Amino acid sequence: MEHQSSGSGDDDRSRKLRQKRIGDQLRRLYDEVTEEAVPVEFLNLLEQADKSKNQK
Amino acid sequence: MTKPKLDDEAFKAELAGLIPHLRAFARSLSGNATAADDLAQEAMLKAWKARESYQQGTNLKAWTFTILRNLFYSEKRRSWRRQQLDPEVAEATLVANDDPSSAMDLLALRTGLTVLPEDQREALILVGAGGLSYEETAEICGCAVGTIKSRVSRARKALAEIIENSQGGFSGDGKLRASEAFDDIMKQADELSSGSTADARN
Repeated sequence: MEHQSSGSGDDDRSRKLRQKRIGDQLRRLYDEVTEEAVPVEFLNLLEQADKSKNQK
Repeated sequence: MTKPKLDDEAFKAELAGLIPHLRAFARSLSGNATAADDLAQEAMLKAWKARESYQQGTNLKAWTFTILRNLFYSEKRRSWRRQQLDPEVAEATLVANDDPSSAMDLLALRTGLTVLPEDQREALILVGAGGLSYEETAEICGCAVGTIKSRVSRARKALAEIIENSQGGFSGDGKLRASEAFDDIMKQADELSSGSTADARN
């Protein structure tokens, strides 16, 4: 392992590390929402739409 | 040729199961939680009405995302088009997090996302967080797979820059107030995005 010439390799590794971190955080932002309880309004609306179909 | 269709009960169950993802995708497009839920609700109802045209065996998630996305872009004056990051959200992100450096990153990411061009942001969210393939994302966005790949890669690069620049201001000073941190990131993101419009041409 020679450290003198490994500069670009280190850059590469730290770039990959940063990108991985961004990927993790991105999923976290998204999952923050998917893990929330679904507001009842959504399911009510869907049920309503289903019922009104039968009345036509 | 008759492709099997899902019956209504099965379709409804699958659609209901996708609500969390519709909400997450809507939130990423709109940035405002209430407006995003309006958008997700309308997309869900539209998908339900259009259920006859869904082909069983294809990806229902990608299909509903396409509907949601079309809705988002077709009604430009709707409230969900407002794209902003509320400073209170920023403050909450920082306060609720027990790891300050990770909270800083998350805030920088949120901020960075709001200044990315829309096409880059949605491609990155779909591929990077929504679990969709490049191919599915290309279909949702109505463009070539190669275009999606380049949007995702440019978005990643831009975000890395925004986050890296924002860290310069915080290292060694944990006492920086959240609102100052927010202003700082916003400023840097603005500078970056005004620079990146030039390279968005290709």
